Amino acid sequence: MKKAIGLALAILATSIVAASAQGAPSLAARAAAGYSCSKTITLPFVTPLTGGAGFLGAEQMSWAQYAVKSLAPGLGLKVKLVGGDTPVEQGPAPAQTLAQKYIGDPSVLAVLGPSTSGAVAASTKLYYAAKIAHLSPSATRTDLTKTVNGTLEGTPAFFRDVPGDYIQGPSDANFMIKNLHVKKVVIMDFQEPYSLGLASAVDGTLKKAGVSTIRLSAPNTTTDYSAYVTKVPSDADVVFFPTQKPGDAQTFAQQLIEQGKKAKVFGGDGSNDPSQFKQPGSYVSNFAPDITGIPADAKLIAGWKKDNPGKAVGSFGPPSYGAAQILMTAISKTCKANHGSATRAAVFHNIKKVRIDNWILGGTFRWSTKSNDPLNAKFYIFQIQSNGSYKLVG
Amino acid sequence: MDQFIQYTVDGLTLGSVYALIALGYTLVYGVLKLLNFAHGDVFMVGTFVGYGVLQALGGPANPSVPIWIVISLVTISAMAVCAGLGVAIERFAYRPLRDAPRIAPLISALGVSFFLANSMQLLFGATPRNYDLFEYRTGYLYLHGLHISNVTVPLLRIITICAALVLMVVLWILVNRTRTGRAIRATSFDREAAAMMGIDIDRVIVFTFILGGALAGAAGVAFSLRVPTNVSIGFVTGLKGFVAAVIGGIGSIPGAMAGGLILGLLESYVQGYLPGGTQWSDLYVFSGLIVLMILRPQGLLGRADIRKV
Repeated sequence: MKKAIGLALAILATSIVAASAQGAPSLAARAAAGYSCSKTITLPFVTPLTGGAGFLGAEQMSWAQYAVKSLAPGLGLKVKLVGGDTPVEQGPAPAQTLAQKYIGDPSVLAVLGPSTSGAVAASTKLYYAAKIAHLSPSATRTDLTKTVNGTLEGTPAFFRDVPGDYIQGPSDANFMIKNLHVKKVVIMDFQEPYSLGLASAVDGTLKKAGVSTIRLSAPNTTTDYSAYVTKVPSDADVVFFPTQKPGDAQTFAQQLIEQGKKAKVFGGDGSNDPSQFKQPGSYVSNFAPDITGIPADAKLIAGWKKDNPGKAVGSFGPPSYGAAQILMTAISKTCKANHGSATRAAVFHNIKKVRIDNWILGGTFRWSTKSNDPLNAKFYIFQIQSNGSYKLVG
Repeated sequence: MDQFIQYTVDGLTLGSVYALIALGYTLVYGVLKLLNFAHGDVFMVGTFVGYGVLQALGGPANPSVPIWIVISLVTISAMAVCAGLGVAIERFAYRPLRDAPRIAPLISALGVSFFLANSMQLLFGATPRNYDLFEYRTGYLYLHGLHISNVTVPLLRIITICAALVLMVVLWILVNRTRTGRAIRATSFDREAAAMMGIDIDRVIVFTFILGGALAGAAGVAFSLRVPTNVSIGFVTGLKGFVAAVIGGIGSIPGAMAGGLILGLLESYVQGYLPGGTQWSDLYVFSGLIVLMILRPQGLLGRADIRKV
């Protein structure tokens, strides 16, 4: 019996080694040879499609889908958008699994996302090793593109078309200092990379200005914030609440009122959703303006609304349209330069050459020369009005 | 002192929900010796049913009937749908496996859990749903209530805690003071002997799933009155309910009630008073649970399993 088990294990091990030895050059060879641009290109979008942040993925997918539908034919491409689900509650594991899946698919030349910073940090090394560029329309953590305290979580394969928390954190904090004249601020985090980075950025700027800060940390699975609200001092002016679940920001704001606390909730880009976070008097920041106010986008918005009846234009969708536009433009450039075929490495190389006039978020899109971030991008601050609408205040 | 009162109210509110979920776990375990891991997702369905009925009644801002009728109808509807769902799960996922090895229904329960979560997402999408009762007369249910010292216990929390207590008392009476309750206890004690005494085991099991499902529906509404729900809410909240059942002694109805309230209060006090409590409340609470299990494996009110050797 022992001999039989030993023999079976030996056969299994040999098969695995043989399969790996045979598979590796084949995949590398296929990738190096390039992919014919006349074939359908798969464009994966790694984003939370389920879980508490599922709304984000749904909105992003709808805009990326509209970009594929409206732009791909003009760029001479046949593109199939596929969704890769990374629920925020499940941590980094799904992002790594998806990265391995897409690396093994020769029809994937570049990847959209991951949408969240934690998922980017978990998977970007895999993409870099496979020379696949990936572009996120919402991962804002600073150390994904810049070195912070000697740490760089990102790789050269990671790009984003929205500004990072190195802009958002100080923007939010400076708004609190200059416009809200805060003396005491409670700063929450949710024990995941996005909120930890943003909370630290806000904390640092506030402390430098002499503002008293209190840090509270809640697990990402928290649903009832009563105990946290009880810990908020009655003289706190603001609670900075960088969640990726806007409904939680609403709950927190209501529970503050329930306990008679005067502090206002200030959410980051992750809580920017007028359908869920709508407590009047609260604040929220975002990397995108309300594009319904940009006249050049009117036709584009009308087209998207036709495909998505009854849906409102949010803030996460438009940068996803832009991200899909950048990747498809880079692929198209590569195809033209390489006479109808494209390699992942060449697409990667061409991303930073993309410049888009009439950018969906207004003006012209260009890359920074110093990092894989957009040039001259900024964050916008909104105050929630009594009818639940977001008014630009900073 | 005010903070202590506030943490106690927080803990009792949360604990009431855990207790209602724990009762569902414990009832099914008592009768079938099955860990019904789909129970958390039945709870999730209850939250969505309540949301749908609330919207059908005009929504929280302009309800078509008085708010107490709205809350009652929302609760009754969720209980009814979840009771029906419990029966369907028992009929199609567990009954065919009643004589199979114990691992089979456990896997089936996990399968039902994923089936429910994914089906709900397919039907209703991933967007969280908020009952938003704050919109009723601009926070009336949040800002009015019972005053204890300087703390206001809002109406919404009073409704949650009282509704849970009433349901627990009704269940206790049902199980301890009625013929059906006696049949449930007999089946729980020894299924084969109960059958030999003429008890219709299938009927008892179905009734147990009706009770468990209804309690999950009530828990879903009690939970969602204050907190947004989504299709994945059942896993974590259901897990907490399961833990509460284990703390109390799985299979014991008073144990589940006590376990739920203890877990809710423990979470609240840990978050309030221990260093790093907000950050590491689960670490503290579950470490305590490990110690409890080592000292008293049958839970606080569970009975020790005596085997003839």
